[in-house]
Amino acid sequence: MSLLTLSGVAGGYGDVDIVTGINMHVDAREIVTIAGTNGAGKSTLIKAVMGYLPRLSGRIEFDGHDLRSLSTEKRAGIGISYVPQVRNIFSTLTVLENLQVVEKVADSRKRIAEMFDMFPALASRRRTQAGNLSGGERQQLAFARALMSSPRLILLDEPSAALSPALTELVFAEVRKLPATGAAVLMVEQRARQALAFSDRGYILDSGKIVLTDTGSALLANEKMAELYLGSKPVEPVQAS
Amino acid sequence: MDWINITNAAINGIVLGLLLALPALAVTLVFGIARFPHAAVGDYMTFGAYTAILVQSFMSASLVAAALIASAATAFLSLFFYAWVFRSLSQRSPVSSLIASIGVAFAVRSVITFFAGQSQYVIEAPLVRAWNFSGVRILPTDLYVAATAVLALAAVFFMLHFTAFGRRMRAVADNPELAAASGIRVREVMITLSVIVGAFCGLGGMLMGFKAVVLPELGWELILPIFASVILGGIGSPVGAVCGMILFGISQEIASLYVGASYKLVLAFVVLLLVLLIRPQGMFGKIIAVR
Ligand SMILES: Nc1ncnc2c1ncn2[C@@H]1O[C@H](COP(=O)(O)OP(=O)(O)O)[C@@H](O)[C@H]1O
Ligand SMILES: [Mg+2]
Repeated sequence: MSLLTLSGVAGGYGDVDIVTGINMHVDAREIVTIAGTNGAGKSTLIKAVMGYLPRLSGRIEFDGHDLRSLSTEKRAGIGISYVPQVRNIFSTLTVLENLQVVEKVADSRKRIAEMFDMFPALASRRRTQAGNLSGGERQQLAFARALMSSPRLILLDEPSAALSPALTELVFAEVRKLPATGAAVLMVEQRARQALAFSDRGYILDSGKIVLTDTGSALLANEKMAELYLGSKPVEPVQAS
Repeated sequence: MDWINITNAAINGIVLGLLLALPALAVTLVFGIARFPHAAVGDYMTFGAYTAILVQSFMSASLVAAALIASAATAFLSLFFYAWVFRSLSQRSPVSSLIASIGVAFAVRSVITFFAGQSQYVIEAPLVRAWNFSGVRILPTDLYVAATAVLALAAVFFMLHFTAFGRRMRAVADNPELAAASGIRVREVMITLSVIVGAFCGLGGMLMGFKAVVLPELGWELILPIFASVILGGIGSPVGAVCGMILFGISQEIASLYVGASYKLVLAFVVLLLVLLIRPQGMFGKIIAVR
């Protein structure tokens, strides 16, 4: 059985459905990428899983739980973490407080020490207000905060957005390590070619519908699709918006 | 005007500012965390003052008992209105909550007027002589009022910055969606916030009863100075709210030496305007961020 299953999911913010007829799944310790043009509804889909959408129909199951009956904080409590596209840290709290604030961590002190081992750049800045961190440090803190709860599923919304190509490499290297920590990854990425290259599977979203799904390598090999949705060049030169 | 009069006025102003800092802090916390200007804090104060009078006339003359019961009763009132009104409005625009809070303010005032009428009450305090330091007069009652307010304010600052609960509150103020995704029960934070708001307004109202006669309009008439001081301090900044309120108190009391009681409010507002012209963001950077 899959870790996360969406069946016939539709939803949005107001009267119109932004996403419709979504069937997808994520298995344990899998990396799954959602690609698609701007405004396709990728973030909306992630928000549906985390419980932020005011309007939703269909079924979302996580590890035997019916997610739709759970509040966002309960979803966090059963092992789902979320790194939003923007505002993904508490910028008025210190680095340390950003980690301490995560609830339901069995041994918070030990876990924080582990996070500082994993992200040494954060350790030296633990008393710094998170709003004063550099772009790369912020992204590391966002990851560390999401990892605090030792989640089984991490939702990443464009982790490379606004990062330089070099930092993107670093962030993707961190994403690759996540399955080893026991977490599956469901990720939205603008730099889809790069992301699919290390993803187990991918979904391509267009106008709120899944138009194609396959393994990461097969999606990259499908030239017509790749040109349509992933940009025509092998390495995407444009910065993610 | 010699310096002794000015010093006395400044002392009065500090005491007034400190006690009004209680509702001002409540306003700034609600603004930072629940994101709306809470217009009922003044009438929560009135409710606290009348509760204290009620306790004094029927149960006990003890000021400590009156203060505790006034705070607790007002906390309960605030919690009641959270559960009944503000909770369901939290997903709507801040304007809905603001309008609702004005409605709550009217309702509380009307009920108080219905039962208490327009007669003037005072909170019984032991009569004591002011200490006189070559003309500079300090009333022991004022000292107690100021000390109580300082203690309560310090407790909230300690809670905000040194406890897990305060950390949660600041996280919700900073980024409610991320707070929920971190497992923080936002509703629990809102409930505690309501209790703090009520307790602070109740205590502030009772302390105000030492300085003024208690009428149903007691708190409502203070709401403008309170809001102005919160803006002066920097909206959403707890330290700013306290300092803004003290500056307001001092300006008002010193102004009253020159222009008489009916215009002192006007002069205090002029001071606030001048500060805001120089520093439009208020005196303090935001401690609690507001989107
Ligand atoms: N909070 C919101 N309220 C209303 N509409 C929204 C909101 N967020 C996104 N949308 C709309 O939903 C559509 C999909 O947005 P989004 O899921 O963010 O796209 P993507 O992440 O694929 O770029 C867009 O048309 C956008 O305007
Ligand atoms: Mg998006």
